Amino acid sequence: MKKNLKIQNNIRRLRFFADEMTQQELAFKAGISRQTVIAMEAGKYSPSLELAFRIAEVFKVDITEVFSYKKI
Amino acid sequence: MSYQEKRTITSTVSGIVMLIAYSIFAISKYNSDDTNFDLKDWATTMLIFIGIGIVAIIIIQIVFHILLSISIAIREHERDDKEIEKRIKAEIVEDERDNIIEMKAARISFMLTGIGFMISLFLVVFNYSAITMLNTIFFSFLIGSILEGFIQIYYYRKS
Repeated sequence: MKKNLKIQNNIRRLRFFADEMTQQELAFKAGISRQTVIAMEAGKYSPSLELAFRIAEVFKVDITEVFSYKKI
Repeated sequence: MSYQEKRTITSTVSGIVMLIAYSIFAISKYNSDDTNFDLKDWATTMLIFIGIGIVAIIIIQIVFHILLSISIAIREHERDDKEIEKRIKAEIVEDERDNIIEMKAARISFMLTGIGFMISLFLVVFNYSAITMLNTIFFSFLIGSILEGFIQIYYYRKS
């Protein structure tokens, strides 16, 4: 049976540990808008795999440290 | 409010203005009982309106971009030119979320335009004139494009 997955992220926490990086800074480095960062942090938008890798690269961590999923 | 929202509102307002202008023209022509104004004249008028609409949207978007750049430059006046330029670029960036929202809105708008086309075909079946059919199609396109803007704003507000 198909189970739904909820994508979660640690972007807010990672920003905090990256010298309190602003949403605007992250957006600029990942090549996206600040609104997209806000939507992702609020769990309202799940990025594409390509963008997920780009965000992980900004924080210099593995993609699984940024994004995880939960079966619902 | 984001750049994308502001841009969508600007183009939606232009669409509404065009719809109002065309409605005033069409209603006055319908009421005037001008028999010399045939299908060819209606088509010509619609093409003129489309042309004016495209030019108006281009001009409005250019003015909008200039005003946006000026407002950012005023807001960030303490920073140097390169930093201001960077801020402007960051403000007007278009990403995958914008594309998804655009596609969702376009799909719904296309459905509405399709319904309008179906209605126009039914009007012909029920012996309405070709002019009525043409106007129904034109109105469905206009309303569809306006609705597209509203749907985009809804999705931007929602997330």
